[in-house]
Amino acid sequence: MFELTRYDGRRRVRGSIALSVGLSALAAMVIWVYPSFEAEVDLDQLLAAYPDPILQVMGVQTMTSLGGFLSFELYTFGWVIMLGLYLAYSTAGTIADDVDRGRMDVLLSMPLSRRRLVAERFAAMAVPIVGANLLPPVVVFIGARLIDHPLAATDVLAVHLLSIPYLFACAGIGLLASVVFDRAAIAQRVALGVTFALFLSESLLTGTDAETVGSIAPMRYYDPNAVLLEGHYDLVGAGMLVAMTLAFLVASQLWFGRTDIH
Amino acid sequence: MAAIELEGLTKDYGEVRANDGVTFAVERGEVFGYLGPNGAGKTTTIRTVLGLLSPTAGTVRLLGRDVTDEAQLLEAKRRLGYLPDDPAFDETATGREILDLHASLKGDERSAEVLELFDPPLDREIREYSRGNVQKLGLVTTFMHDPELVILDEPTSGLDPLLQQRFNEFVRAEREVGLTVFFSSHILSEVRKLCDRVGIIRDGRLVTVDPVESLLDRSGKFVRLHADEPIPIRSLEVDGVHGLESNDGAGPSDGTEYAFTFTGDINALLAAIREYRLVDLSIEEAPLEEVFMRFYGSDAADAPPATEQAAAGTDRGGSGDV
Repeated sequence: MFELTRYDGRRRVRGSIALSVGLSALAAMVIWVYPSFEAEVDLDQLLAAYPDPILQVMGVQTMTSLGGFLSFELYTFGWVIMLGLYLAYSTAGTIADDVDRGRMDVLLSMPLSRRRLVAERFAAMAVPIVGANLLPPVVVFIGARLIDHPLAATDVLAVHLLSIPYLFACAGIGLLASVVFDRAAIAQRVALGVTFALFLSESLLTGTDAETVGSIAPMRYYDPNAVLLEGHYDLVGAGMLVAMTLAFLVASQLWFGRTDIH
Repeated sequence: MAAIELEGLTKDYGEVRANDGVTFAVERGEVFGYLGPNGAGKTTTIRTVLGLLSPTAGTVRLLGRDVTDEAQLLEAKRRLGYLPDDPAFDETATGREILDLHASLKGDERSAEVLELFDPPLDREIREYSRGNVQKLGLVTTFMHDPELVILDEPTSGLDPLLQQRFNEFVRAEREVGLTVFFSSHILSEVRKLCDRVGIIRDGRLVTVDPVESLLDRSGKFVRLHADEPIPIRSLEVDGVHGLESNDGAGPSDGTEYAFTFTGDINALLAAIREYRLVDLSIEEAPLEEVFMRFYGSDAADAPPATEQAAAGTDRGGSGDV
């Protein structure tokens, strides 16, 4: 078991290190600019200048604490949007690209069930998902201390740990797209579009009558603000994300199990 | 129990019926050639046998297992090697990494031995591989776990003549030790060199399954004769002479050089020409292209099935027929 996961995982290590380093650089930059931002800009006034929908989409609650600032500059932007889209996109390429380029024939000629193939390829996405969360929390924690705005270590850890089921759920969207469409380019575009649409539906519909529509969006269940501002860890939300991930995985396995491979 | 059994296999794509009621069996220990022009439905059959496509109708058994039942299919795949018509591997991996993955999933009994015959540059990435090197790597992954049955889709495409020769020798040697081979081809000489039996498919329908010799017998001999002086054309009106051509003008007439296909008794032919002094006479097996023409040639398109057609004799040359 997990031979394919090991193989895929190894091939994703380099990219994941690059991802982790890049995100760490973003984290360091955000933390580095915060003191001058705080000192020279009236942050409440700045907030007031933004139209409400923008604040809502970006999940901005406050900029007057480092936690609030990081929550939208780093976590909403970097994790919820960028990483979420990246994982949906990247996972959408897995199965579809194998089919697209004719590699699936060789893979499936081996004693490997289709369900197992889908599950193992998906499991290998743990490498970028976990990898992206290895270095940045260290940078955030140390960086916050260096600028004298220390954050609780548990909060920093939690905001990263809770992002893992969220990112898996986004990858699940990509996985489903990857088995439904056998052209990688199409699967990837659909995965990007759907993930972004879910993000918008969740953030724009919050507080409206259509709020329930956003409940199918993974973004509903991962809230960096709650963690960094209130120290509230939404374990039920994490459970929802795990359930969502499994649902995407099982649906993908069922679909791929019965489809013709051309 | 046959290695592969197809019973009324039909694959309907809506506009195209890629396979239409295909029925045949590949016996254990034989080399079975699956012959047909591009687009005839060879690959569809193979991909259905492998469970990549599900049949619209009919049953497929691979090493005794029902391929539409995934658990059974997996059992069969443990003992199967497969080389697709255009094998593709992870472009960013090296050949060695690919072999390691395959070894971890299906075992490795003999990759070292196969690598001595087919040696792709294992330390290079697949993206740098030529078509031939990809094919060599494909052959190694096909045979490395010492399968009982191998299915090869156009196996020698991309191999240079020397490697094709090596491949032929390898397959023959493997057959001696009990390997069953099912391979598709549109190259007739390849089929003739390797196969025990041949199935011919055209437009999704199986036309015939025959031992390769009987196909050759049916196609007859190709005779060329060169006489010292003109031979009257009626002397050559022997049973079994088809497509008579002479050097004298476009059509057959009294000439000194004749070429024709012959499916009759060779003694009758020799008796007929005994009184003429010959400069040269050659009697060769008809090229398999000739056999092929019987099944695919435009005049054969609406002809009755091959067996009846052979019994009736074919009339391709016109007036040469008696």
